[in-house]
Amino acid sequence: MTVKDYSSAEERALVRMAQQGDLAAFEELVARHRDKIYARAYSMMRHEQEALDLAQEAWVKGWQRLGQFQGDAGFGTWLTRIVINLCLDALRRQKRQRVESLEALAEESGGVERQMPVVAPNPTAGLERAELRQRIDQALGQLSHEHRTVLILNEFEEMDYKEIARTMGCSIGTVMSRLFYARRKLAALLTDLKKPDTT
Amino acid sequence: MDLAAQLKLQAWLDGELPEAEARAVADWVAREPEASALAEELRQTRRALAGFEADLRLPESREFFWSKIEREIARRAAPAPASAPRGAAILAGLRRFLIPATAAALLVLAGAVLIRPGGAPTRGGGAEVEMALADAGAFTYCDYSAGTTLVWFSYPADN
Repeated sequence: MTVKDYSSAEERALVRMAQQGDLAAFEELVARHRDKIYARAYSMMRHEQEALDLAQEAWVKGWQRLGQFQGDAGFGTWLTRIVINLCLDALRRQKRQRVESLEALAEESGGVERQMPVVAPNPTAGLERAELRQRIDQALGQLSHEHRTVLILNEFEEMDYKEIARTMGCSIGTVMSRLFYARRKLAALLTDLKKPDTT
Repeated sequence: MDLAAQLKLQAWLDGELPEAEARAVADWVAREPEASALAEELRQTRRALAGFEADLRLPESREFFWSKIEREIARRAAPAPASAPRGAAILAGLRRFLIPATAAALLVLAGAVLIRPGGAPTRGGGAEVEMALADAGAFTYCDYSAGTTLVWFSYPADN
């Protein structure tokens, strides 16, 4: 089979070929999904090199575990789950190595988000796409990794509460509380990020 | 509005509530300005996040990124360096122990033979060690009862 054939092949066919040991087919799968896998890793880790390393590791593990892929979900979704788990492991290792901030402790205890004033009107209204992206990027970077992860899993991965709880190893109540805090904090941060124009 | 009510409102927006409960929350949000404002804020945040990741691109070329993956796959697939059979490894370990142990045992045995408790060896009785005056590095062991003489040198034989 030529390289051109791989690029036009259906994903299922590529997966089947890769499962039979065809590295070129796997390379085509990498090419098709590499941006999404990297984006997920970057959103969670907030660090380019770490995201690159974890994305690479996810692909290597994906190759090693191809035999376990049953095709219930899409290949991209399956690989994304692998990179999410790798990122969660990395974040847990990092967490063990750092002292929790007082703010994070306050977030865990709950109640902070309840007292935030509601943000209105829409702080992102009228922003150019690039500017909006930059502001969201900055705001996400200011969330703790637990809050950012729960937000990413819900908003980008479209996981329900139960699935997020299973993935993160916490209760559904914790997921709800973290998600609520993350959204409210993000809204407040986006408003704050808009303020420098007036100061 | 307490936290439980706020979380229920969020669950409603996320489609996590059963139908009957979702209807009740929808009615409540429609009646309560505070709940309505919070719901709108949460919706705005969701809208702002939509499509955020679409612009994130892997900052390496297809070829370079794949070359790293391919290399790592090959490295992990490579068989581990051939190790010696278990029996050979045990023998090697024993050899490492046995050689110095044997040498030590021989030294102790030689010492026991050469050094007699209760005084110097006598010519008539059995054995003695002599150092040749002509060669300070040469020693002679004589066992008269056995009629044996051993000479050993403290320097390599090819000197």
